[in-house]
Amino acid sequence: MSWSRRMAELLPGSITRDAGGAEPDPRFTFANERTFLAWSRTALALVVAGLGVVQLLPPFPGVPAGRHLLGVPLIALGGVIAVAAYVEWGRSQRALRRGEPLPRSILPWILAATVTAIAVIAAVVVLVSALR
Amino acid sequence: MTAPPVPPTGPPGSGDDPEERDPGLARERTSLAWTRTALSFAALGGAMLKVNAITGLVILAVAPVIWQAGRVARGRSPVASLPVVGAGRLFLIALSVVAVSLLCLAVAIFGRSAAGALR
Repeated sequence: MSWSRRMAELLPGSITRDAGGAEPDPRFTFANERTFLAWSRTALALVVAGLGVVQLLPPFPGVPAGRHLLGVPLIALGGVIAVAAYVEWGRSQRALRRGEPLPRSILPWILAATVTAIAVIAAVVVLVSALR
Repeated sequence: MTAPPVPPTGPPGSGDDPEERDPGLARERTSLAWTRTALSFAALGGAMLKVNAITGLVILAVAPVIWQAGRVARGRSPVASLPVVGAGRLFLIALSVVAVSLLCLAVAIFGRSAAGALR
């Protein structure tokens, strides 16, 4: 499938008027929508956390870029989660309309992998700062 | 390979499932989720006010838009006629979060990094 075709399938109108299915039970639609909203809040919380690290923490002694090393990935992760949540919502909605099994979500994997990476960076920054 | 569960059929108001007696509950929960999301935007905007007042005001202004986007007629109604929020509004939220995170990235990277308010 070409890229432009893939992008067009992500547009809101293409999902709600998917020709390959019918409108599902509204309760499923609502549950899918709530899942998306919950991921959006997770994304916003990550942005707040990253901003707080960069702007509120005192600098790490000996690691001048430490706050940015921790905060910038958190904020970027927020943006990625928001996009991925929308894509997942569209895939799920399409599957619900067509009565197909729900696709596996990649969001928990993204979140777990990135948070683990940030935790490792945090440990290194704190250690380097302490052993200076 | 399992198909999504089929909703119970039968006359409305007959089952033990509260959802079945009042299908508006799903709408209500979703409405509350929208309110929480709008509050999250407001919280981020409030935190941003301390860092960069203009950016904070911009993000704060998004909160009422999100809140309004989630408002759909509520109340008890049969499942089939429950109003559903269109995909366009969810698209709006995803766009807002991305825009907000880009704004915050810019502020975090280029903004004047204070000595640390929690010092």
